[in-house]
Amino acid sequence: MERIGVVLGRREATPLEFWVGVEGEGLLRLDDLVVVEAFHPKVGRVRYFGMVDHVAKAHEGEAYDTDTFLAVEGRIPVSLVYVAHVSVTRILPEEFLPPDPGSPVYLAQGEELELALYYEAMRNQKGSTKLPAGLLKNGEAAYLNLEFLNGVKGGHVNISGISGVAAKTSYATFLIKSLLESGVLEDAHQAKVLLFNVKGEDLFFLDKPNARLNEEARRVYERLGLPATPFRSVAFLAPPRKDGYVPDLETRLEGVKAYHWDLVQFCQRGLLPFLFADRGFMTNLGLLVQHLTEKLRRLAEGQKGPHLLVEDWPGEDLPEEVSFESLGKVRLKSFSDLVRYLEYKLLGPETGEGEGDRTWTARQAKGTLEAFARRLRSSVENVAHLVRGDRPGNPPDPLKGEQVHVVDLAKLSPQAQMFVVGSLLKDLFERKERGQYRGRVFIVLDELNKYAPREEESPIKDVLLDIAERGRSLGVILIGAQQTASEVERRVVGNAAIRVVGRLDAAEAERPEYRYLPASFRQRALILPQGAVILHQPEIPVPLLVRFPFPAWATKREEVLEDNSAEALRRELLG
Amino acid sequence: MWRLLALRPSWPPPEAEAPASSDPEGFRPLEEPWEARRTEPRPWPEPLYFVDGKEREEALLAQGERLALLGCVAAGVVVHRGGRMALLSSAVRRVGVGLSEPLRAGELLYEPVEASGSDYASLREGLSRAREALEGEVAAGLSGGLLVVDGPVRLLWPGPLLGYIKTHWARYLPGPEEALLHALRPGERTPAFRVRRRGMELASWYLRLPLPPEGLRPPQAGLLRVETPLSGPFSQLADLSLSLFPLLASHPMKDPRAPQNLVPVGALERELARRMGSPEVVGRLLAKHLGGG
Repeated sequence: MERIGVVLGRREATPLEFWVGVEGEGLLRLDDLVVVEAFHPKVGRVRYFGMVDHVAKAHEGEAYDTDTFLAVEGRIPVSLVYVAHVSVTRILPEEFLPPDPGSPVYLAQGEELELALYYEAMRNQKGSTKLPAGLLKNGEAAYLNLEFLNGVKGGHVNISGISGVAAKTSYATFLIKSLLESGVLEDAHQAKVLLFNVKGEDLFFLDKPNARLNEEARRVYERLGLPATPFRSVAFLAPPRKDGYVPDLETRLEGVKAYHWDLVQFCQRGLLPFLFADRGFMTNLGLLVQHLTEKLRRLAEGQKGPHLLVEDWPGEDLPEEVSFESLGKVRLKSFSDLVRYLEYKLLGPETGEGEGDRTWTARQAKGTLEAFARRLRSSVENVAHLVRGDRPGNPPDPLKGEQVHVVDLAKLSPQAQMFVVGSLLKDLFERKERGQYRGRVFIVLDELNKYAPREEESPIKDVLLDIAERGRSLGVILIGAQQTASEVERRVVGNAAIRVVGRLDAAEAERPEYRYLPASFRQRALILPQGAVILHQPEIPVPLLVRFPFPAWATKREEVLEDNSAEALRRELLG
Repeated sequence: MWRLLALRPSWPPPEAEAPASSDPEGFRPLEEPWEARRTEPRPWPEPLYFVDGKEREEALLAQGERLALLGCVAAGVVVHRGGRMALLSSAVRRVGVGLSEPLRAGELLYEPVEASGSDYASLREGLSRAREALEGEVAAGLSGGLLVVDGPVRLLWPGPLLGYIKTHWARYLPGPEEALLHALRPGERTPAFRVRRRGMELASWYLRLPLPPEGLRPPQAGLLRVETPLSGPFSQLADLSLSLFPLLASHPMKDPRAPQNLVPVGALERELARRMGSPEVVGRLLAKHLGGG
């Protein structure tokens, strides 16, 4: 054990915190872990494990600040003091007596480090549940207790931090990598991951090795027990271009599928409410939306799609391009057809002062009906390319096929983003609820403040709340991220067992959402470099500052390590 | 059985310097002509030692008619070497002046020291002698370089030695020569002159320390008298002292005894006071073990 100093007596030494004076050439930094032993005849030996959360140097014997100039010029003798404040993380056995001033302080290494960070308690009947979560300052691996992530004792992760600097997405993907490939998650092969890509196209090269990965980063992966490889099984899904069926992506063309829903799926799955994401269910409009969702569901019953057949739309009102089925039914072939049909059912024929179909209007006043029609019409521009009647739908299905599904939202309008996220999460959650998939599902969603805002009501927020509150027991785990946790629904953040903080802005760091961090960590959150995060988990009373390795997968086109072997070229040319 | 008569009998402590004999008639200059001198800056000798001591009266005890003074004396050495000023060594001793055998009060042990008389003044003198002895002890281990002591030269030291006197009780210069003191500017000194004391032959000179802001105080305010054994290279040492003391002068904002109280010595005194222990704690220990005063 490396002796580093002594417990100071000039300042109070308590069982929960004390000061250490560093001796000689000793080195003690923020986040270093130390151990102190005390002895009392009545309780025997007590060991204190703690983490350094404040270090300071000062000249002793100086009465004025300007004395430092004299000391530097060699005119007065001073003694340099080097002190550190230690927050105790653990006392073994649990006898809360203070350590004696003057007791030697040692650096916690090896077994002592494990005790200090409760690693030895991270296990269940089947073995260790230590999930690699990054590297500590001293180069040793930092672990999360998997049981607080996979839903056994707790679930969900919440990541906060400024966009661009905090590397929220990078850390989330690193965690996914660790979950899938560290071997700690037992049924990792069954786990599915749904990643929403909200900005740029960063996540569209998850399956390509990163050309900028250097030896040092590889050693970090090795140290963490993770392969420095890209993700193996990834499906990439992007919305189609508005003028066609090709995925709307710029940097990656191959291996990306376009996703959309067809009209029958839209009706059968009851996705209408997700177009009205800003309205609660208890308003008149909300009630109408619910009613129409149900009507559409019935209408689509038994239909195969992709187009929707309706029989009660008299010919004289039809737009020209709408075609007739042989049996006299009308065929709706696009989202705007559906919108017009709904307008007809609610407000009557366009010509004249007719009334809508009473079974559809749900006794709502004309004003409400018109408001609904107006809003629906305005959504045509946003979602017509996602809900279509011209070809069979292939919405993303994260529970089938590849292990990781990346779904692009970046180019969609906010309304369309809401629609896609809401539809996917609802579908996924319902299927897990019905027990249709056994494995765990991890959902990575950035910009939670948009989907589950603190102030407003919306159907998506309801789905997210459902996941946050009940998902844990159903094996649906949300890895949510946002710039500012203060703007996200409290219950969504509050249900996350693991909290991660990247670089924060100063005003945000002072909000009560971050009070679980000691003051020194809140201060440091303002200056965190890229690639470092503060990690808080329920079992360890102090947060850990961890570094995570440079991604082994490319995050943009330029980083992709080109595979120029003959075999790869042949594959590319032949298909 | 000694009983406690008073805690910290003289507080605040008196200025230590006792009046010495004035002898303007025996004045004999050692350098000519009698006018202000200044020199080019010269490097400090290495190592450069500063020795100083400190005494503290802690309690006055009585046993019948007899009195004894419990006190604490400390001495230390600060060395300037390689551009850094550092504390080299220090010693703290608790003494009982007038005791005939050691006295223990809790953790404190007072060693007996003889006194010339049994009155309070003699006891205090005994305490001062104990401090001087301790200063001699810490200085005895030093070798090479230049030694600077606070107060008049009393020690016997093989190498070059400078003593400096901060307060001027005695007059050494006759009237006409004394006028030069008022004309000295910062960084200037008088020529050396001879001083005889207790059988010692010394060379002495006055120098003027900077006392910012200039012009606000009488020019005598920054005077320092320096002395060195006459047998040594006093003229060189006098020139060197102009490069030494003005640089070490303390600033009036920080030290009420500025500028004569040199900064390394001030720091050493603070350090010694700290090593003597808290007077409150010592007082409580004494009161507990020797009975209330």
